[in-house]
Amino acid sequence: MFIFQQIFIFFQQIYFLMINPLNILILFGAVLLGIIFGAMPGLTATLGVALLATLTYGMDTSTSMIALLAIYVGAIYGGSYSSILINIPGTAAAAATALDGYPLACQGKAGKALGLTTTASAIGTFIGMLFVITLAPVISAFALNFTSFEFFLLAFFGIIISGTLTSHDLAYKGWIAGFLGLFMASVGRDQLQFYPRFTFGLYELDGGLEVVPVLIGAFGIPQIIQVLKDRIVCGEAKRFQKILPEFTEIFHHLTDIIRSSLIGVGIGAIPGIGEDIAGWVSYGAAKNSSKNPERFGKGEVSAVISAETANNSCIGGAMIPLLSLGVPGSPPAAMLLGALMLHGIQPGPMLTFDHPLFIFQVAAILLMASFAMWITGILLAKQVIKVLRIPPPIFMPIIAVLCVIGSYSLGLRIFNLYLMVPIGILAYFLTEMKYPIAPLVIGVILGPMADANLRRALMVSKGSFLPIFTRPVSLILILVIILMVLSQISLFKSLMNKFLGKIFKKTNKDLRDINVN
Amino acid sequence: MKEKELRRADFITSVLLLLFGIWIIAATLKMPMKDTFGGVQNVWYVSPALFPLIISIFILILGLILLIHSIQSGGAKYFIDSFSLKYNGLSSNYIRFISILLALFSFVYLNIPRIDFFVSVTLFLTYFISIFYFDDEKLLKKFTAFYFIGSMIFVLFFAFGIFEILNVYYIYSADILAILLYSAYLFYSWLNIRGNSIFQRKLFVSFIVSLAVPMILCPTFRYFLLVPLPKEGLLIQLMHNIYYILK
Repeated sequence: MFIFQQIFIFFQQIYFLMINPLNILILFGAVLLGIIFGAMPGLTATLGVALLATLTYGMDTSTSMIALLAIYVGAIYGGSYSSILINIPGTAAAAATALDGYPLACQGKAGKALGLTTTASAIGTFIGMLFVITLAPVISAFALNFTSFEFFLLAFFGIIISGTLTSHDLAYKGWIAGFLGLFMASVGRDQLQFYPRFTFGLYELDGGLEVVPVLIGAFGIPQIIQVLKDRIVCGEAKRFQKILPEFTEIFHHLTDIIRSSLIGVGIGAIPGIGEDIAGWVSYGAAKNSSKNPERFGKGEVSAVISAETANNSCIGGAMIPLLSLGVPGSPPAAMLLGALMLHGIQPGPMLTFDHPLFIFQVAAILLMASFAMWITGILLAKQVIKVLRIPPPIFMPIIAVLCVIGSYSLGLRIFNLYLMVPIGILAYFLTEMKYPIAPLVIGVILGPMADANLRRALMVSKGSFLPIFTRPVSLILILVIILMVLSQISLFKSLMNKFLGKIFKKTNKDLRDINVN
Repeated sequence: MKEKELRRADFITSVLLLLFGIWIIAATLKMPMKDTFGGVQNVWYVSPALFPLIISIFILILGLILLIHSIQSGGAKYFIDSFSLKYNGLSSNYIRFISILLALFSFVYLNIPRIDFFVSVTLFLTYFISIFYFDDEKLLKKFTAFYFIGSMIFVLFFAFGIFEILNVYYIYSADILAILLYSAYLFYSWLNIRGNSIFQRKLFVSFIVSLAVPMILCPTFRYFLLVPLPKEGLLIQLMHNIYYILK
């Protein structure tokens, strides 16, 4: 009975959202905009969500969520256009798609490849949505048992895990970025005593750094500098006749779709790990499980399907920790968190009490967005790829103007712009030196939560850190953090390898003995 | 970044991180730890210094690890060696980077707070689009130098309060000067690309885009999203007049 009630509420939400024609218009408009953002090399899903967050600030929460989730879904899918047609991934999420999508296009199958990515992405988003609706409330309910220590550790866990997994060089560069983010979050008057910290006497800094300008700076400015400095140019797009949904081909690759969706959701649920990693991991898994791994890189259909299903199902995965714990699962989800805060919604365990229908609403929007994306993809792909002809030196300066007006319009403060530019330049240098930006952003977002909860927890325990080790969840979190830190030390790595080697050797020997007997 | 440059950058960053960590500690030690603040007797664990102190300790530890790694991987040596390298002038990439910074800084710190938003955007876009759209290093250098000199004139005008004097006679004097700079930039660009039809077409595109974007953006934000623009001067006032006449 309970399940039927939940399903009823879910469809009721879809009905309420779709009854307003403006919502439908915004849904399709944002999906289209997302596809354009995703398709154009240099523009990212995060930047799209960031810019739209500033435009939808004045709208009601559900309408703005429609716009933001639709652009997110559209942008992750849109990256496949340029991957397939010009061999340049529109977004990092579609990098794995280019490996086999472009060879398919070279074989004159660009239309087929786009048809496959369109349907696979829609299915991926749909499966991700199913996980949001089933898992987010359960994790929320579980997180109600969290105390201040757990929330403090959750922030640390977020930056350590995302720092470890997103760093392309040394893992601790990711942690450094995370701690720099936490420092940025501690600027301004502290939440408990209102003492001004690192404000340099500037009253504009009393309220702390506003999240959205920081995010726009961190994601937008480095992108603008990189594209223009490195002279990224788009090649001639491959031509195609029409796009068909390719249902038969998709049906033949059902196993790939299910595996990739699970990988996408799983990776999305890890804090700060984005769609790009989901795409690569899924691509690797598809290659490992394929009967013809040698075909990968030469236009293999299952590779394209796996990468695209995973990166879109990652959206649902990223929404799970965002909604249930208040920890963003990916950089665009971090931007969504900022947008939700602007609308007075604080994701986390209390979300199901404060806004009982919100998770259903998000799931309903994801479902609607996947449909809108599929329809737009099938019908308008040929028109959308025309934007690839716009040279980056024309659209990047326009993006710069949008970043500026977007950051300003949130608080009508020119001071936001004064912050956005140096933060953007700092983020650019960090990116150049191979520091990931996701942990920095997570640090900025989760910093206030970590700060307030640490002190609250210590107040309750009268200054004792002992509850960290006596409470099961905090103990697990601290152990995972310690394990992750230790795993970067070569001595520990070799010890672990020896230990695991011995265990598996023993297990293999036991299995052999059983077989002999 | 290549491996060698990366390790050198790691060395510099690690030193900066160590200094940064020490600075945070020094700043946090000035915060109330056990003494009273706002009539409240503090204990160490509710002190506003606690969280930044923890961050600073981690930054110091990680900075130290990075320093050791950079020294072991030759970063410190590359850094010292870089002093003895012969200066080969500014690289093309570096000039492009400087041009981007000039565009962003002049737009955000100089123009937006003082000049009509429409004019600021037009000026910014014309410069920013044209320098990269031409894709010619000589033109990039020339136009950047021209724009830099123009921006410096503005800095001087603002620094010496010349606009305050001029504003007594005409309130939009800064906007007029910006429009003059914009016109001069276009004229200077045209002079430099005479005879090259491709560049002329590109300049025309830059000109159209730089006008079309604020024409769409300003009314959208001002009348649709109800966002007052950062500085509403000559052209925004004109836009208001047209809007209210049409309304």
